[in-house]
Amino acid sequence: MKLKPVIVTNNPLTKASLETKYEVIFNPDASLLDILITVRDYVHKGHRLLTHPLMGSIKPNQTPYKSVAVSRQCFDEIDLMSINIIEESILKAQQLIKNKKISIYNHRILEDFSLIDFDLIKNALN
Amino acid sequence: MRLELGKIFIKDVQFSDVTKVEKGVLYINKEELLKEVSGDERLKSIDVEIARPGEEVRIIPVKDVIEPRVKVEGKGGIFPGFISKVDTVGSGRTHILKGAAVVTTGKIVGFQEGIIDMTGEGAKYTPFSKTNNVVLVCEPVDNLPQHEHEEAVRMVGFKAACYLGRAGKDVEPDEIKVYETLPLLEQVKMYPSLPKVVYVYMLQSQGLLHDTYVYGIDAKKIIPTFIYPTEVFDGAIVSGNCVSACDKNPTYVHMNNPIIEDLYERHGKDINFIGCIITNENVYLADKERSSNYTAKLVEFIGADAAIISEEGFGNPDADLVMNCNKIEEKGIKTVLVTDEYAGRDGASQSLADSTPKGDAVVTAGNANELIVLPPMKKVIGHKEAANIIAGGYAGSLKEDGSIEAEIQVITGATSEVGFGYLSAKGF
Repeated sequence: MKLKPVIVTNNPLTKASLETKYEVIFNPDASLLDILITVRDYVHKGHRLLTHPLMGSIKPNQTPYKSVAVSRQCFDEIDLMSINIIEESILKAQQLIKNKKISIYNHRILEDFSLIDFDLIKNALN
Repeated sequence: MRLELGKIFIKDVQFSDVTKVEKGVLYINKEELLKEVSGDERLKSIDVEIARPGEEVRIIPVKDVIEPRVKVEGKGGIFPGFISKVDTVGSGRTHILKGAAVVTTGKIVGFQEGIIDMTGEGAKYTPFSKTNNVVLVCEPVDNLPQHEHEEAVRMVGFKAACYLGRAGKDVEPDEIKVYETLPLLEQVKMYPSLPKVVYVYMLQSQGLLHDTYVYGIDAKKIIPTFIYPTEVFDGAIVSGNCVSACDKNPTYVHMNNPIIEDLYERHGKDINFIGCIITNENVYLADKERSSNYTAKLVEFIGADAAIISEEGFGNPDADLVMNCNKIEEKGIKTVLVTDEYAGRDGASQSLADSTPKGDAVVTAGNANELIVLPPMKKVIGHKEAANIIAGGYAGSLKEDGSIEAEIQVITGATSEVGFGYLSAKGF
């Protein structure tokens, strides 16, 4: 069963590249943690997590961008695996962000972070 | 499948008129090497430098490290699917220039990372401070897309390693090690009283700069499968992974996987090492479910009593590690996990982004958040400004005197999740 995705993101490249094919919820002002919390709220309502929230080896305190796919369909039963993964991911992200804040990067580096986040979610959905 | 590894010990590397190995010295004709690796129009320039153990040299940012090897007898060649045809490798004889390494450097993305210091505090954390490094500095043409840049530099490394490896083809090795794994039913019969152990070898496979290849195939597209351990020694698995320097497996580490070597050491003594199952670490959760189901099924199918599972990377792969552990343990098969930790600078926080009570035997390769100060070096090969923007570094990491304060995750191989490193814990 392949569930239709909704992509929650703060990455402009993800929005621009995937919105013609998928439903995209884009919030450019959201922090990485805000995106994870939005995803958590969807999961608690009954949507299923489709992609891992901590995809990529770039740590949550290093990149500002995050794209996560959840199911468009909202189920009556909460998916425990989805809950477990998103909650653990938020804990880990909070811990690393508290440990060391995100550096201020230049435009070129932000573009690279954006590209990697987009490439990983694109590969996952394909 | 039986493979002889002939190790030719290399104690120095020098430029010369002819590429050859003589009395433990690798001589390199630089022009010939450059001719061998050039020709990709995506690269504007390639240069070669040498960095030896003990020299005040810093290499940054490191993309990959590759060991020079050559096939002397048996089917196929090194790096099947890339440099050689896709014949099944892992049998016959392979010669290794042990003590030499090809290091590729190039800024593929702005936050490119990976430091090798050849001396000082940082040298203690990377195994590649002990190798004589032939460093290929690759510069791309303008506006080259990142995935093409990565591919171009990856291929330069493989070509260079094969070119240098060929210098050892007719040299008598200093040491020969023989590794053999029989077809499964024969292997099981060989040591009927010993516990059958399989190695579950997790490969990074998330996407751009996070990829691994098996016989030329992108590992994210495989379903878990069996591989003879000796195939790995001939370069059947290679790295396209550029992110997270401390715990990614460079190609060199795949070729020298210490879990495989250690399992062979105990093979026939207290365990029966029956082979490897390779699996991936994808982003899509259904892919994770499929791969972990398949891995557990294969482990059960081949009749293993226990599985060693190694992870590659942080976060997302923690979920794969836990799924593999749970599903294999649920079949009544014992597991031992190998990972590293992101436990905060004091090491007191939870280490992984997932956990399971079934993971009751875990080996850690170290805490990647540990802080370190790397002293200035006389010479920097690559881009020293990269220190400010690599993972584990931060704005201001690079001090005026050239020293770097950062977490050990900036150092290539510092917390290798297959244990190819120096960190250890001792009880007294």
